Amino acid sequence: MADFLVRAIPLFPLLACFFVALFGARWLRDKSHLPVALGCALSCACAVLLLFSLPPSASNPSGQKTVTLYQWMQVTEPVVSGIPPWQAGGAGGSPGLDAQIALRADSLSATMLAMLTFVATLVVIYASGYMHDDRAYWRFFAIVGLFVFSMIMLVLSASFLQLFVFWEAVGLCSYLLIGFWYEKPEAAAAGMKAFVVNRIGDFGFAAGVFLIWVTFGSTDFAKVLDASAIAEVAQRNPYLLTTICLCLFTGAIGKSAQFPLHVWLPDAMEGPTPVSALIHAATMVTAGVYLVARCTPLYQLSPTAQSFVSVIGCITALLAALIALTQNDLKRVLAYSTVSQLGFMFLGLGTGSLVGVGGAMFHLVTHAFFKALLFLGAGSVMHAMGGVIDMREFRGLKKLMPQTHTTFLVGALALAGLPPLSGFWSKDTILGAVYEQAHPHHVTVSADEGTVPEATGEVNSQVTPFGLPRAKLYNLLYWLGTFTAFLTAFYTFRAFFLTFYNGPEKVPHAAGHHAHESPAVMCRPLWVLSVGAALLGLLFGHLTGVFDGFLGRTIPGLAEAAHEHGINWTVAVVSTLVALAGVALAWVMYKEESPIPARVAALAGPFTRLSEQRFYLDEVYKLLVVRPLEALSQVSRFADWLLVDGALVTGVSRIPSLLGQLPRPIQNGLVQFYALAMMLATAVLMWALLSKQT
Amino acid sequence: MFPIDYLPFVMVAVPLVGAGLVLLSAPASRDQARWTALTNVILTFVLSLLLVSRYRVPELLPPNADAVDRQQLVDQTLQMRSSFSWLSPRTVEDPVAGAQRVVDTPVRLAFAVDGISLWLIVLSALLMIPAVLVSWNAIEERPARFYALMLLLEAGLIGVFSAQDIILFYIFFEFTLIPLFFMIGIWGGSDRRWAARKFFIYTLAGSVLTFLGLLFIVLSEQWMSNASTLTFSIPELTASIQQQIASSPRNADYWQHVSPWIFAALFAGFAIKVPLFPFHTWLPLAHVEAPTAGSVLLAGVLLKIGSYGFLRFALPLVPGASVAHFHLVAILAVVGIIYGALLALAQEDIKKLVAYSSVSHMGFCLLGLFAFNTVGLTGGLLQMINHGLSTGALFALVGMLYERYHTRDIASYGGLARKYPRMAFCLLVVAFSSIGLPGLNGFTGEVTSLMGMFATNRLYGTLSLAGIILGAWYTLSLVRRTFFGRLREPVQSHQHSPVVSHHQAHDHHHTPLADLNLRELCALGVLIVPIFWIGLYPQFFTRRMQPSLQPIVAVLQENGAVMLSGTATPRGERPVQAARPEQQSVNNTTSR
Repeated sequence: MADFLVRAIPLFPLLACFFVALFGARWLRDKSHLPVALGCALSCACAVLLLFSLPPSASNPSGQKTVTLYQWMQVTEPVVSGIPPWQAGGAGGSPGLDAQIALRADSLSATMLAMLTFVATLVVIYASGYMHDDRAYWRFFAIVGLFVFSMIMLVLSASFLQLFVFWEAVGLCSYLLIGFWYEKPEAAAAGMKAFVVNRIGDFGFAAGVFLIWVTFGSTDFAKVLDASAIAEVAQRNPYLLTTICLCLFTGAIGKSAQFPLHVWLPDAMEGPTPVSALIHAATMVTAGVYLVARCTPLYQLSPTAQSFVSVIGCITALLAALIALTQNDLKRVLAYSTVSQLGFMFLGLGTGSLVGVGGAMFHLVTHAFFKALLFLGAGSVMHAMGGVIDMREFRGLKKLMPQTHTTFLVGALALAGLPPLSGFWSKDTILGAVYEQAHPHHVTVSADEGTVPEATGEVNSQVTPFGLPRAKLYNLLYWLGTFTAFLTAFYTFRAFFLTFYNGPEKVPHAAGHHAHESPAVMCRPLWVLSVGAALLGLLFGHLTGVFDGFLGRTIPGLAEAAHEHGINWTVAVVSTLVALAGVALAWVMYKEESPIPARVAALAGPFTRLSEQRFYLDEVYKLLVVRPLEALSQVSRFADWLLVDGALVTGVSRIPSLLGQLPRPIQNGLVQFYALAMMLATAVLMWALLSKQT
Repeated sequence: MFPIDYLPFVMVAVPLVGAGLVLLSAPASRDQARWTALTNVILTFVLSLLLVSRYRVPELLPPNADAVDRQQLVDQTLQMRSSFSWLSPRTVEDPVAGAQRVVDTPVRLAFAVDGISLWLIVLSALLMIPAVLVSWNAIEERPARFYALMLLLEAGLIGVFSAQDIILFYIFFEFTLIPLFFMIGIWGGSDRRWAARKFFIYTLAGSVLTFLGLLFIVLSEQWMSNASTLTFSIPELTASIQQQIASSPRNADYWQHVSPWIFAALFAGFAIKVPLFPFHTWLPLAHVEAPTAGSVLLAGVLLKIGSYGFLRFALPLVPGASVAHFHLVAILAVVGIIYGALLALAQEDIKKLVAYSSVSHMGFCLLGLFAFNTVGLTGGLLQMINHGLSTGALFALVGMLYERYHTRDIASYGGLARKYPRMAFCLLVVAFSSIGLPGLNGFTGEVTSLMGMFATNRLYGTLSLAGIILGAWYTLSLVRRTFFGRLREPVQSHQHSPVVSHHQAHDHHHTPLADLNLRELCALGVLIVPIFWIGLYPQFFTRRMQPSLQPIVAVLQENGAVMLSGTATPRGERPVQAARPEQQSVNNTTSR
């Protein structure tokens, strides 16, 4: 059963993609969404069934199921007598390559799959309304189908190499969909920026995969993520493990838009809004989180890597939240909020505790729901406003778009982290896990469970690479995280009030006179998502422990750790209060039209500008990376012309003619000179012959 | 049905005959010439598929293989051998033994395929199809001669890859220059004479040195083995020399001393051909001036002769010197990867951009070959084929664009995707193949080359990874600037430059500004199919390569390559058995 499901899940979207790509332009036309919607829905049904068909057993405690599809490449190094094998440093350091395309389903990937296919189905249905008038309707759905397939394969990957393959494949789909309206120069530039910036991250990821390959002799999860193999490597060379972790994390930084590689994600909003919702909020960008969560056994043995993950996550969360405060483009606010929430996930992953990992994964799932909901809501607004998304151009849309208003409110409340909506539970778990690291006396669980071989106390007294002892560092991160939660609530509701309240209804010219609520095909997905955004936390979160219990099959010890951890009431109360404060502040400032925001902005002067200009990071990149590289390329072009081709090649090619110049004076045409030369030469010859004889 | 063993020979002969047929056709009739040429290249390609289907994949080396196993495997991988003498053999009276003896020329017309040459032959035969198709309308002037030269080039290329005799190899090696020289010099752009001359003299200068090196190998082998006759057979030479290095200390000592010189001589010709930084400057010029078919074949196959030379001669014949020059070649390759990418970034001419990207991509190829492990060698060989496919396709696309607008200036284009959706699709596939997107062919070669190098030397492996970032940058910039954004078309110049108009005097009809037609789609299609095939199922290709690569790797490992990665042994133990070649020879000398 599981075998069939695992094969079927990626197959349906792939078939749909092929079908639309082949027949879309000619025959399907405005029905092009049907095959993809059907494919995603079937795939979703299978994914939900898969959740129940991976029972753990004594021989297979994680309940994982691996299906090998085919041998992608197999390269065997010769074992030659007299040459030590790879393990002993022979065979050119290469263990050979045995790469298969295989599908590995376990509770972690099954969770991702269920979330992914569910959101994808809803987004495709929504998009059939949203994209209705587009001339490349079929192209959109073909690429979305390809994306869903690639993402499923990424999640189902059984080896790091395969993960890398589909990691890039989703990047391709992202590139194609950001640049979907390629005639807009900004869209074309944004697509390219996304791909190239991601490539920088992939550079690290590839290095990490290579390092894993030469260290473990394989890139299969089964061999690499094996506790005994990791322990042996850690014992032999702990720095190696840290390097691997950091390299992989570099890949995650790129894909999941973490500081300093987050710059591509806000620009990616140039793509159609359903794409922003599906790829750049709910699914693809969480691939980095999935990767780090998948590598939990590696990260657990490297406290240095953990602190890096947490610090980067926290910086990103804070920075993006600060930028989101002043953005006027509704989609950009949501984009920065995505960056910020992904930062939260990494903050949780970097705690190194299983609770943190569970929390991050749970936040991933809940975030997918409420962020997809918010983006689709923003898309609904954009649809009604005739493509305008600048919040200064419209206001007071509550009456005009009641359904969008209500569902957006649910999403905003979830994002702000107010109980009992889903965002509260997942964010609270993350902050709780960070708090635990900051107050090590609370931490007994993971150490006692024996899942973290190094005693936590010892780890906590270590000084992190950031100059602070671990406990102090995490204490700082906790408070920064809580502050970010406050900012989150504030900017979310700022956007909410600015759009739906803030004075009498105003509609931009582009919308014309028939601005209206979106059609049912767009509103229904919003309702479904808002139910998820509201209830997921309550149903599967801490109260029931379902999520941790299920995930615990793949990450051993998680269920127990989460159970011991329970709900940290201090953290819960603090974050609820903070979120309420944020909402309240936004209410005061933006519910009605008031002069307060302008005054506050003026008061904060330079900070406002810094936030508005996104901390000038794009400019910094341009100045420090793009321009120097362009200058360097021009310099090399000049050097190639002057030195390599000019001096070296042309120089050498002159040698024959120069050599020819040397004897030229001899051929002066004077017979007397020739006679003289002949005489002299004969004399020398005779002298040589005679002197030799004697 | 002819005996299958003659197939490689037949594949050389068919284009030669074809060239004759094309010349025989009426000189004025373009249709007759191009249809004859097309039929011929398709026939050759079908024969190359027969070659693949008849190639039996031998078993890999058994564990703890020794020289005997290795030799056995080499014998098995070398298939479909045919050998003819130049002259008819004479029977002479042997004065010493008093018996009759058959005297034959030591140089023979010997052909065969193994796992290394198999795919390169297929690549050569395959690329000819788009090369003929892109010339279909572009070549107006003297079409019969053009296609005849092209078929001669095909014969030369297949000959290079299937020759099993050093002299024969060298003849084909030089022979490939001549058709291309004329193709550039007669049908090229405005600066074609200078480009053709530079291309010819530059590569000839290097290959003359290579010839000296090859001859020196032959002479040394005879001298060391005390054989009465010279042997020019590549497999025999390889076996004999490897055996000499391994067995007798005196011989090992001798080879130890001469091999750096031999390596230098081989390097001179092959590095220019590849081209390795800093010997690359002939390439952009030749590409820019060459007609489209010339560029396709130059980038697609001719450059591969250089890397093929390294793989066929340098690595197996002078393994010690190859290993000793590891750092030199690897550094040049890494510099070439990054430098070529930077240069590509700075170009405003599409053809130059693609030409410099070739420098960068061929760097990956050499990086793989000089990783000295099977993963790297497989990657290097794959990269040769992949680069041929993707760069060949890129040049074909550039040619199609040029036929429509007669300019290669990137800045004068914009937003073409709207007008040419099919071309945009093909360009995206090819561009992503060139960038190394997984699922397409470029990735398989790049990643295995890099993995191989990473295993041997982490630093070079990591540095060259930076090339993939720059690669994405310049390739996607090209796509964005020409095909995305607002539509901007160059002004159609009906007034050609004087040189061009001279050659296109009777070119009154322009290629219509329409999307790709069936002919052009076929030209790209034959390249795009293997682009996907290699990307999705590389095992089909690598499985046939490996048996031929393993013996080379084994020899390299025995000759010191094992020490290169020794500093970073995964299990923290330094290998003790294997010693550097110098030490080995010193030990051998003292034991004597």
